[in-house]
Amino acid sequence: MHNALIVAASEGFWDGIWHGIISWQFLQFVVAFLSFFGFVLTSATLLVLAERKIMAWMQDRIGPYHTGPGGSLQTVADVAKLLLKEDIRATDTDKAIFFLAPSVFLAPVIAAFAVLPFSPYVGLPGTALATGIVYLVAMSSLDVVGVVMAGWGSNNKYALIGGLRAAAQMISYELPLVLALVGVIMLTSVLDPSGSGIGTISVRGIMDFQVSAQYPGKGIGIWDFIFQGFTPWSWFFLVQPLMLLIYYTCGLAETNRAPFDLPEAESELVAGYLTEYSGMRWAMFFLGEYGNMTIVSAIATTLFLGGWSGPGVSYLTGLGSLGWGFLGNILALGYFVLKIYFLCFIFIWIRSTLPRLRADQLMQFAWLILIPTTLVNILITGGIYLVMHEIGLLNDGNAWFLVVLGVVNWLMLFGFIRLVGRAVVASTRRAQAPAIRARQRAAVAAQLAERVSTPASVATGTPQ
Amino acid sequence: MVTNQNPGTFSDVGESEEGIKTQEMLLNMGPQHPSTHGVLRLVMTLEGETVVNCTPVIGYLHRGIEKILENRTVMAGIRYMDNADYLSPMLNETAYAGAVEQVMGIEPPKRAQYIRLLVSELQRIASHLVGVGTYLLDLGAMTPILWAFRDREGILDLFEALGGSRFNVNYIRVGGVLHDFPPHWLAECEAFLNQLEKNMLELEMLITGNEIFEARTQGVGYVDQQQAIAYGLTGPMLRASGVKWDLRANRPYGAYREVPVKVVVRQEGDCFARYKVRMDEIIESIRLCHIAIDRMPGGPIGTRTPIALRPARGETYFAIESSKGELGVYFISDGSEYPWRAKLRGPSFVNLQILPELLRGHKMSDVIAILGSTDIVLGEVDR
Repeated sequence: MHNALIVAASEGFWDGIWHGIISWQFLQFVVAFLSFFGFVLTSATLLVLAERKIMAWMQDRIGPYHTGPGGSLQTVADVAKLLLKEDIRATDTDKAIFFLAPSVFLAPVIAAFAVLPFSPYVGLPGTALATGIVYLVAMSSLDVVGVVMAGWGSNNKYALIGGLRAAAQMISYELPLVLALVGVIMLTSVLDPSGSGIGTISVRGIMDFQVSAQYPGKGIGIWDFIFQGFTPWSWFFLVQPLMLLIYYTCGLAETNRAPFDLPEAESELVAGYLTEYSGMRWAMFFLGEYGNMTIVSAIATTLFLGGWSGPGVSYLTGLGSLGWGFLGNILALGYFVLKIYFLCFIFIWIRSTLPRLRADQLMQFAWLILIPTTLVNILITGGIYLVMHEIGLLNDGNAWFLVVLGVVNWLMLFGFIRLVGRAVVASTRRAQAPAIRARQRAAVAAQLAERVSTPASVATGTPQ
Repeated sequence: MVTNQNPGTFSDVGESEEGIKTQEMLLNMGPQHPSTHGVLRLVMTLEGETVVNCTPVIGYLHRGIEKILENRTVMAGIRYMDNADYLSPMLNETAYAGAVEQVMGIEPPKRAQYIRLLVSELQRIASHLVGVGTYLLDLGAMTPILWAFRDREGILDLFEALGGSRFNVNYIRVGGVLHDFPPHWLAECEAFLNQLEKNMLELEMLITGNEIFEARTQGVGYVDQQQAIAYGLTGPMLRASGVKWDLRANRPYGAYREVPVKVVVRQEGDCFARYKVRMDEIIESIRLCHIAIDRMPGGPIGTRTPIALRPARGETYFAIESSKGELGVYFISDGSEYPWRAKLRGPSFVNLQILPELLRGHKMSDVIAILGSTDIVLGEVDR
């Protein structure tokens, strides 16, 4: 023991510490970790404020405006209040499960941030993970455990119903969510420049397909500045718009946001699985939910909207100077966060527009509409490639494949929207069957003598 | 472990094929619950999420209004009528004052009748706006209620200018009304109605075509025509089931004898029809308000009544079409300053009776959809 210490304390030990722990890479890791951890938490508070302000704007009211300039410190005050609140537990709750549930819910959300590429250089080591998508999906499905634990441990009937609803919902929507991503992964395998036909499920890898493509470099400064690494025509949402829509819809359901917020439907289940929680434990659920929202938006951004790519990023980072490279990174970070928040804005928009679905309609939507649609999409994507490849259209590049697939998918998008509308009409018509029969009966009755319901004395207007 | 097994809350109903026991759960919804519209308590037996049985428990808001009326002079009693259906105080006052007038055999002057019609229709709009807004809030949409309350705010402002109070206006008097309009009131009312028409189009666009809303409400909570009559339903609940019955048209009173009302009827009998009837009635009420403003006659706003009002001995039943249905007052006078008895026939109370029948077999989420569509006010149910 002593010997080991003495040996370690010799020259090599300090050297090792200096090079191993206090190295440039390690510092980078610490900075990245802290900033991303901070991003999860601050993003949640920002989103809460943004949600309240945006919804207030849409609902013709002011929203929070007392705390800080224009109410900007409202969420800070709220968080402080939540931290200082008493930690309450009802007597008959299952103590261990009740206390653990918020952590079980929040931990995967924070863990999922590890694989998100924020800019060309800034990213946790997880960004290099070759199985990024699988990791993300795994993390987002772990959430349901926390929700069920909360629902069961609270020993409250509303919480129990909420927890069970959440379990059914989150598991059902996990399937179309993953299947929607498969379409994109198939694209990467087609577009693979090495021609090996092996795609990638690394988040960074999928993003690179949308960044590095199709700008030959004109040599004109301003064009290069804008379009180097910023090629919106190669973003995957143009080729697979329907999958973006379905992914986004499933994301709404995964994060329990309106119109899929049944597990915590306040008008039905008081607060669902959150009923018995208060103070910091409740805040952890809340945080996790908004963190989830950020993650769903971030995945949609990286997979469909080109991630951090935007005018100037690749140009600046490609200059090779540290200062410009730093600026390029900041720009990339800005674009990424901007795209995330744009998608979050749509989350909020949807919440203030739509009413809530019913539990059975929710399940029907997932199993009868979303899953078949995603499966058909996979079939069509593969089929088109196969046919075009066999005909020999793809000998000089994949451009035609992308065009055809894009056209087909946009048509499918409009078809899908129509289909959903028709399905709703059909199902409500079925539900209305007794009413329809009654209407027919009423039509028959109308042909008979009309029942006069007004006595003559009243109809003539004499006072009662 | 979790001690969910409180006696009486779960009861075995059977075993599935795999030998898993299934239990019915007794769930108390209310009296403190976000969407029981006040303090209604529903004791529900659930199997999974399906309602097996439901018993509404009422009385949590009982203030003894009918008894209070017996202990107040007739004039003082009008104020307490405000609190019965607290979403439509003007209509309640009209009903009570109308009953007293009927037993006294007096007829308010034309101008007073038209003023009553105008404020009644404004009140009906306000009440329906709350009904529709809270209904959509129950279904999970947050925006409609705020838009509806924004418009209702305009009506309350008009009432404040008219009677001095936003909510419990105490404006209708036996034989007339309290004040004439303040200056420019009618112009403001006209401007408000024009704005409201635009806002209603906007609200309609937000709600009516929405697929989720239609899927939630169409075919849910179906009431047969016969059933509706058998349960004594009135108001939008009845008219949504295809029965053309509106006291304003069928038993016209006051200025309604001169202003014909287009009765809104729908045949579907489901929650959507009830919602739509309310929306269309708002449009119809706007039209009636315009007519009332255009035809507003001059003259006195009330007949002279003695300060110590002593209705003659006798009894009468006077009913008006309130926003929720037939609001009747059975008034018995023994010739003193105090009514011997004033019984209210609250439409909310009668419409609530059909609730257990409607809920049976529906899902937990539909409970909210159906309860919201009946648009009850617990102040009137419990009185």
